[in-house]
Amino acid sequence: MNMIRLIAWREYMENVKTKGFWAGILIFPIIFTAVYFLQTTLSNATPTRYYILVDQSGEYTEAVETAIEREHQRRILGEFVSYLIENRKESNLDLTAAGQTNPADQLIDGADANEVAALEQWLDSGGLNFALTIARPALKEEIPPFEQPSRQFISAELPEGIDSSATPEEIAQALRPYLSGDRKLIVDSQPSDLFALILIPDNVNEDVSRPGVIPQPAGRPTGIQYWARNLTDSRLPDAIISSINSEIRNREYIDLGVDNQVVRDVQRTRMPISQLDPTAAIGEEEVSVADTFQQLAPIGFVYLMFVSLMQSVQYLLSNTIEEKSNRIIEVLLASVTAGELMMGKLLGIGLSGLTTIAVWLLSFFLFITLYQSSQTELIGQILEVILGSELIPWFVFYYFAGYALYSGVFLAIGSLCNTLKEAQAMMMPMIMIQVIPLAMMVFVVRDPNNTIVRIMSWFPLFTPYLMMNRAAADPPLIDVVGTTVVLLLSTVFVLWLCGKVFRMGVLRTGQPPRLIELLRMIRQGN
Amino acid sequence: MVDPVSKSSSHAQAEAGSSSVLSLQNVSKTYGEFTAVDELSFSIPKGSIYGFLGPNGAGKTTTIRMILDIIKPSSGSVSILGHSSALKVRNQIGYLPEEKGLYKKMQVWALIQYFAMLKGMKKHEAKDQAWRLLEKYGLKDFAESKVESLSKGMGQKVQVLSAVAHEPELVILDEPFSGLDPVNQTVLEDLIKDMAKNGQTVIFSTHVMQHAERLCDQILLIAKGRKIFDGTVSEAKATIPRRVMLESAGDVASLNSIDGVMEIGRGGEVDTHDSAKQQWQLQISEQLNPQDILRSCFEKNILLSRFEFTEPSLHDVFVHLVGDDAKEHAFR
Repeated sequence: MNMIRLIAWREYMENVKTKGFWAGILIFPIIFTAVYFLQTTLSNATPTRYYILVDQSGEYTEAVETAIEREHQRRILGEFVSYLIENRKESNLDLTAAGQTNPADQLIDGADANEVAALEQWLDSGGLNFALTIARPALKEEIPPFEQPSRQFISAELPEGIDSSATPEEIAQALRPYLSGDRKLIVDSQPSDLFALILIPDNVNEDVSRPGVIPQPAGRPTGIQYWARNLTDSRLPDAIISSINSEIRNREYIDLGVDNQVVRDVQRTRMPISQLDPTAAIGEEEVSVADTFQQLAPIGFVYLMFVSLMQSVQYLLSNTIEEKSNRIIEVLLASVTAGELMMGKLLGIGLSGLTTIAVWLLSFFLFITLYQSSQTELIGQILEVILGSELIPWFVFYYFAGYALYSGVFLAIGSLCNTLKEAQAMMMPMIMIQVIPLAMMVFVVRDPNNTIVRIMSWFPLFTPYLMMNRAAADPPLIDVVGTTVVLLLSTVFVLWLCGKVFRMGVLRTGQPPRLIELLRMIRQGN
Repeated sequence: MVDPVSKSSSHAQAEAGSSSVLSLQNVSKTYGEFTAVDELSFSIPKGSIYGFLGPNGAGKTTTIRMILDIIKPSSGSVSILGHSSALKVRNQIGYLPEEKGLYKKMQVWALIQYFAMLKGMKKHEAKDQAWRLLEKYGLKDFAESKVESLSKGMGQKVQVLSAVAHEPELVILDEPFSGLDPVNQTVLEDLIKDMAKNGQTVIFSTHVMQHAERLCDQILLIAKGRKIFDGTVSEAKATIPRRVMLESAGDVASLNSIDGVMEIGRGGEVDTHDSAKQQWQLQISEQLNPQDILRSCFEKNILLSRFEFTEPSLHDVFVHLVGDDAKEHAFR
């Protein structure tokens, strides 16, 4: 036992002392943080984009401008909701859809449930100023004032020398150099890029398509022409097309003698849905945000388990191969038994794996404590719910069982190979096996007691992943007990077998054995 | 050359009967069709320096691994420090494997401490011992360096120290001299002698005969897994005839008439600058005094540019006994 402890401690210290270990650990939270900030910054940093609208029909200028205004208001609404979440007096995840008591919560919930309807209401009620007034009582004292996002799409004039009454082809031709970035627009005496040209031809109404009429190929661009080099930012064309469509529909209503205010009111009617959990106590059946997250949480645990296991077995493998390739193993085996060496390694590297998880969790907590924002507060509350649930003991159990099972196999592989390259070929099937439950993650959470999933859970290499995956959904007792017994028995068996292979493998030189040779080695035991 | 054997062999033989730290009885190891070690038997007296000699691929390392019970013999038995398996007395054995390797990222002192602790030393004792050894063998300045920053030779010295830090009764060194410069070879020879003086038994394998000649009380010569010779160095030398080397422009064939000259042959290197000079090698009997040959040369007017009488070296013995095996192995 002393020897095992000594070996484990050395393995652990040697791992922990290397820069690579910490780089490996810290890269995860660093990337996480970087991506988080990058996303936030990028979405706020999209530059102002100038567009030119040429409406030869003279009918849709207002609709396009409304569309762009609406898009802007949508952003204000979104930012304002974040502002509310960040600064409201109390936030309670146990609140359910029906339990909203103040206007701020209602606004948040409304924006979450139906953005279009919320936007309509926002615009009808007077937008930001009104919202600020009604939300004020629900907000904390001494908060920074709300900062409006800047406009992202701004209309620009046609450059001098281009006639707005020329044919669409001529206008497009004349603006090509601007659209491709070769020439700059002068806006407020600043040179600026032209982002898009919206060209509404004189006879655009002829192109309106109606149900029952099959449009004939015209051999020319039909309808509104949207010229832009950027094909991925679809907010502008989407906003324009939906706005113009609603304008066209309005006109149709008028033509048909329908009151379009009635239509808009009808469009905004909606039916709420209450999600209820039959397993919850009476009176608490209504599903809260936290409940939903608790059911989704296993995905996170399975992923964490996979990443951490992969990292640990990687260390185990490279470590064994290092000792094997430079023959330290021979000295070690003259000092301790192969069994002691193996157990020492398993413990030492397992400890490194736990350190990794600890550091990740710690940096995660640090992040959400130090960087307070609406999202991190939400994450914090979700974590609180998850850490208080029964998922944690399951995770600890399946983590250790999975580690023992997989590391045993990888240790045996390491003992048979002399170089990492050889090992990689042998590792491949083991990694593929782990990818299967990982790929099923989302599906399993949705349908945790599916027959196929239930059957697959009995395969020991899948058990830690799949059963963790199902843990939040109260799997049948037979599954829980049965798979656990099979998992434990096979772990013991694998460790015993790997001990045998390890003993024989570590002193082997040359090529790794073929499967047949391996079986013979195990049978002969020498 | 001085014969280093005579003074120490008597001491070794005195103890040989009293206790043997290691003995092998008909030990064989086969891998499928291939026999690596074939019916090997020998016994090593306590406190001696014992040389394992043999060409590459002779089975030295396999034998050593079987002694250490890292691999099991196919047949035969090993008795080590009174036990049937080295695993039971691991802490009294020190081992340096043939292929040298250390944990690259560890500090030198910590590495020696670690290996000493694996052999049952207490943490603080092991640390003190590590520093003491490093100071004694000139590595104190590197004690806190990482192993990877050491030169190959220094690394090897560190590995030897880590193998013997726990002051084992039996030290087994597989090719300890390979890769060391002459100065460090001497340092290592001194270390081995110190251990023997300390009552520790040292077994080492080598194919450099000079080390064996200078150090060993007894040698074991194996080739193709079989024992070729087992005994003291002087006994080994007695297995081949004594030789006299002559260099002369004239013909030396007439020396054949001297009683005790068994064979005359051309030998040694030919001086390429003066093709008239020729080297000859005379094999002479135990009884013949080389002085008689010199006298004969004067009488027969043979002009000598060189006359050399040397005891046969262990090198000669080796080549004589296993030369063919070694060559065969080299071209296999």
